[in-house]
Amino acid sequence: MADFLSQYSIQRWIEMCPQGYLENTVYGRGPDEHEPEAILDDTEQRDAAISSTVQLVVGERCALAASSGLINAAPDYPSKRFLATQTLDEARHVEVFTQRLFDLGVKKDDLEDTVQEHANPNLVKFAEVLLEKVGNGDFLAGVVGQNIVLEGMAFTVFELLETANKELNPKFAHTLSGTIADERRHVGFGENRIGSLVREHPEKKPEIEQMQQEMTYYMLATFADAFSGPQVQPAEPPTGEADFHGTNLATATPEEMEAVLSNTVLGEFKTRLDRIGLEYQSPPVPA
Amino acid sequence: MPSDEDFDPHVLAEDAFIEEVQSFQFWFGAVEGYLTGQSYGHDPGMADPPLDETQRERLITTLCNYCVGETAALEGASGLVSLAPNHPAKIFMATQVVDEARHLEVFLRRLNDLGVEDTTTEIVRRANPALTEFKDALMQLVAAGDWDAAVFAQNVILETMEFTVFRSHAQNADPMTAEILEGVISDERRHFGFGENDLGRRLAHDPEGRARLRDVRRDLDGLVLGVFEGALADLEVPAADRHVLGRDYLETVERLGLTQ
Repeated sequence: MADFLSQYSIQRWIEMCPQGYLENTVYGRGPDEHEPEAILDDTEQRDAAISSTVQLVVGERCALAASSGLINAAPDYPSKRFLATQTLDEARHVEVFTQRLFDLGVKKDDLEDTVQEHANPNLVKFAEVLLEKVGNGDFLAGVVGQNIVLEGMAFTVFELLETANKELNPKFAHTLSGTIADERRHVGFGENRIGSLVREHPEKKPEIEQMQQEMTYYMLATFADAFSGPQVQPAEPPTGEADFHGTNLATATPEEMEAVLSNTVLGEFKTRLDRIGLEYQSPPVPA
Repeated sequence: MPSDEDFDPHVLAEDAFIEEVQSFQFWFGAVEGYLTGQSYGHDPGMADPPLDETQRERLITTLCNYCVGETAALEGASGLVSLAPNHPAKIFMATQVVDEARHLEVFLRRLNDLGVEDTTTEIVRRANPALTEFKDALMQLVAAGDWDAAVFAQNVILETMEFTVFRSHAQNADPMTAEILEGVISDERRHFGFGENDLGRRLAHDPEGRARLRDVRRDLDGLVLGVFEGALADLEVPAADRHVLGRDYLETVERLGLTQ
């Protein structure tokens, strides 16, 4: 365990993150990059961008509360130190996505109202399920919920958004690429550290699997909400291919996008849960 | 986002100042200067001549107590993220969490350099009881969800104590320990700056809150004295000079209007 955890030291984090892929960035993007005028000048597109960014802020606020809350419950110092780096990563994500809302024209005084207005209720419930475990000081369930379920979902959503925005909005795509690099580290820690703890505490499996089932239900309901109803199309469709796990996002229908996103996240869940000795549980009611 | 190296956040209006100095972006710029090229808080090529046995023993005891203080700060700051009354304060606390974890890491690493393998046992064995008791008191304030009292205990009392002791130690420590301490001191300055600024604004028009924190201070004063005495004795600071070192703490408390 000690060797694996040494890969998650503060020193390593400083070398990889602030002195690595974040060097020369401002709020996670190039100092001279801006939101495209095509979004800023089109009310419908701007509102759609605000709404989708609010979901990222809600998810990252949950991740910040969860990772900081898990530090005191962590059973060893290397885990506490890793969670400290994750806490700051998540705070950075809250900051860069909040900054994007400001870049899209949200006034600072209107931030909380905007978040409340656009936050998907299913995503809020998803967060509540996780934060209840964290609030109870349940390290094992908290790390599975945070670093496997929440981070697994965030990782795939960010990848989809990055692919879709590479050509249309390089500024946002760059912001996302830094957060993806962070999430990859977080998911890796969850898999590595939790596997041994699950083996030590097999009696916890049913409770953790139930939490995963509930979180998955609310996640799929959030995806269904996001892709239902009329979708806002970019004024100028991308000219190149935006391939995401075999689906061209430039030409895909909302149903196809929802399907590829859900299938990719669920596939990741199954693989990662299996690696730590847990069995994926389908949601109780089809979402 | 100002990128000019000469940028001074103090020229900003109050709200903009708070948002600026409590951001990840500000932290990022601040630590870049003194952590670049360092490994575990010091120049990786730095020579580390062996200490004599008495010096080594004293340093191990001192570092073990630094680890107790930094663990308190790490656990306190992480608990304060969820209590913070606004998002800039949450983000600042998250930067403090990683600073405290870094301090813990560099002190543990220094203990390893000095030949301590089982750091956990050694820390428990050498911990100053007053410091352990202070840590428990801080965690009770955090668990009670009392932001003002916990920030006072953590970012004013604990951070000022650490700042004072580390600064005194850095003046006559071996070169490697001194360099590690210099980086830690730079972080602590940011932390108690936040505590004083946040509490100063909140208490300015809150005489009841100030009276409450005076009580908290009174409850903790005995422990603070015990921590200072233990740390300064370990560092062999002459008894006559010790009251001078407590001055930073007393001045801060006075600025906040928390003297009797």
